[in-house]
Amino acid sequence: MTTVPVPVTEDATGFGEVRPSAPRPRRRRGRGGDAALFPPLRGLLPLVGLMAVWELTAPDHSPYFPPPSTWGEGLADLWRDGALLPAALATLGTFVVGLGVATALGALLGLLVGAVPGADKALGPTLEYARAMPPAAVVPLATLLIGYDGTMKVAVVTSAAVWPILLNTRAGVRQLDPVMLDMARSLRLSPVDRGRKVFLPALLPSIFLGVRVAAPVALVITLLVEILTQVRGLGALIALSQRNYQAARVYGLILVCGLLSLVTNAVVTALQTYLFPSRADG
Amino acid sequence: MGSARVLLRRVNGPGVLTMLVLLGLWEALIRFGAIDFQNLPAPSAVAARSVDLVLSGELAGNVVHTLRVTLIGWTAASAVGIALGVLLGLWRPAWRWSMASIEVLRAVPPVALVPVAVLLFGFSVRMELLLIVYAGAWPVLINTIDGVRHVRTELLDVATMLRLSKLAALRKIVLPAAMPAIAVGLRLALSLALVLAVVAEMVGNPRGVGNALIAAQQALQPEEMFAYVFTIGLLGIGLNAVFRSVAARALPTPAPVRRRGR
Amino acid sequence: MACRCRRVSVEFESTGTRRRILEGVTFDLFEGEFVAIMGRSGTGKTTLLRVLGGLLDATPDATITFNGQPVDGPPEGVVFVFQNYAASLLPWRTVDRNVALGLEGRESRNEIESRVAEALAMVGLSDRAKDHPWQLSGGMQQRVQLARSLAMRPCGLLMDEPFGSLDAMTKASLQDELQRVHQRTGATVAFVTHDIDEAVFLSDRVLILEGAPATIGHEIPVDLPRPRDQLTTKETPEFLQLRRRVYDALLGTDG
Repeated sequence: MTTVPVPVTEDATGFGEVRPSAPRPRRRRGRGGDAALFPPLRGLLPLVGLMAVWELTAPDHSPYFPPPSTWGEGLADLWRDGALLPAALATLGTFVVGLGVATALGALLGLLVGAVPGADKALGPTLEYARAMPPAAVVPLATLLIGYDGTMKVAVVTSAAVWPILLNTRAGVRQLDPVMLDMARSLRLSPVDRGRKVFLPALLPSIFLGVRVAAPVALVITLLVEILTQVRGLGALIALSQRNYQAARVYGLILVCGLLSLVTNAVVTALQTYLFPSRADG
Repeated sequence: MGSARVLLRRVNGPGVLTMLVLLGLWEALIRFGAIDFQNLPAPSAVAARSVDLVLSGELAGNVVHTLRVTLIGWTAASAVGIALGVLLGLWRPAWRWSMASIEVLRAVPPVALVPVAVLLFGFSVRMELLLIVYAGAWPVLINTIDGVRHVRTELLDVATMLRLSKLAALRKIVLPAAMPAIAVGLRLALSLALVLAVVAEMVGNPRGVGNALIAAQQALQPEEMFAYVFTIGLLGIGLNAVFRSVAARALPTPAPVRRRGR
Repeated sequence: MACRCRRVSVEFESTGTRRRILEGVTFDLFEGEFVAIMGRSGTGKTTLLRVLGGLLDATPDATITFNGQPVDGPPEGVVFVFQNYAASLLPWRTVDRNVALGLEGRESRNEIESRVAEALAMVGLSDRAKDHPWQLSGGMQQRVQLARSLAMRPCGLLMDEPFGSLDAMTKASLQDELQRVHQRTGATVAFVTHDIDEAVFLSDRVLILEGAPATIGHEIPVDLPRPRDQLTTKETPEFLQLRRRVYDALLGTDG
């Protein structure tokens, strides 16, 4: 059974027999290499197969499982009605504004909690409790206090997306090298210069990492708010279509949401690579 | 009474104080009419209403329903997730022929599927449960696959060297080594399960805290709304805390060395 | 347990290119012998040991036998001791259960208990049986791995730089322990190291791998009397001469 050994990448156990493991090349693991690589494309077969079976077996006007070919029509209808584009724009708009506000707020709070001694301890329990609040539960409160409009949506999205940014900023502040802080002081830089030239650039990667984690959250919460409150957006369209038993539109819109999430994630990741090329991809 | 002092030190003094101060501020601002959101109640009013709800048993009834659905759904999701995760993690061909599909399906947020669930199963507990199981299975699955695939090579070598059978290697080495990763997946699934239970109840299920919250909203009862929101927050924290303490007990890991006087 | 290796070659393939690490390595290990395997960094000492231990495949034209049986996977009666001791112990098991790992399912419960106790006594860790590996120091963890190996009563021990990352005092005491065990059990030991003193002190023979791809370049018999002492043996002229010979062989400064 002796054959030429080939270095295996991650696991050495095959299900057949416990094969002798070959040494792996000295490649660093977990440095984004694993996560960034998409698994083999042949793995799409089950999904494609499912779609094919669905397409072939479901009747066109099934109220529950209309075949994938009808989804396109459903979306086309929405487009022609002039409903699809404004909804998508509304969702995107809320997403961007909500994420932006969350970034500003999260960075500020994170800085406060990370840099001011005692702030962490004092604000800790309050922040922990606020963080544990599921955004869905916050929605009725927001509609109660603000109403059914874009501001309410942004408020809820912000309340959910602020946490990853806050936590990452706080971590970033904690990880600031004391040598660098001393250096800034010993060079007699003014506080403003210290902030501008030393702290902020040093913290930006952490803040952005938080933004990257917060982006999918922001998108999901935007959709959630729209589904729950019917305020303008893709989620509202989905809920409306569901109420009218237009299943093809529902599935089509979900597809659009999935694509939207892929696109936003790709954009945020690309932005990170562009802005911070040297940073090891987390 | 040394134990009381120890307890006091463990409780975060400044933290609790800050919370009380913020609550006090809220109360004062409402009382003196400084802020005037039409519908914002004072903490004292919320507290009073909460007491009513507790005493009438209404709160408990709703909490029990939500908790029950959450835990049942979570258990089922975990079972499915771990079983599939072990299979895909260990059997390379299965992984290669399905992982891409999983990555694509994962991109669809469970929230977007709530309308689909309502469409298919109507307003029922079944809808709630199925939603929870579907959503909760993903973190467990992904983390199990990850944990199983990244068992330290040295441990796999030990299994080879000791000529353990596949089953023995799985039971004694692979699964215990993957437990920390699996535990993370279980914890994520638990909080996800609670969130989806609440959402499902808010959208259309005649029972549970989510439903009670919406009912209070429609009945224009802000105090009750706040009471339920706080309850939901407590539920989340409680579940998380219980899970963590159980997990800590089950998975002995090296405790960080504490420096004296910290 | 006698081992016979003929024409052992090992080839690796990474990103399309093939590289031969070992070429035609041929040697014998005689029963009860303690053989040190040395070589410069990267020559393939660990690779060779892993091939002996059935953890790696050699090319098809190689022959490796233990007591006349060809090697196909980890050989019966042979135990591999890993360099990274911390990673080779199971952190979720106590020390005694770690030691028992190799015996489970193969011996009766009473037998396992007594062998674990015996092994722990041999390495001096009887009082730490109920601790977890991460509660022990590096030297102790390596002793646990040793105990695990000894509990299986192996006739062959393959050791991959087992004391490489330990401090001098711990290393010395573990070397003495290993010597004692070797004398008591009469097992055959193949010991990879890059510490010249250690190689000469412990072994009966030093094999030196050289070249790329590597073969056995030198074979230096070490016939110092046993038992050997950390201080007195290392001061004898014979020890110093052998040490010099190995050093020269490694540097390639001998003729």
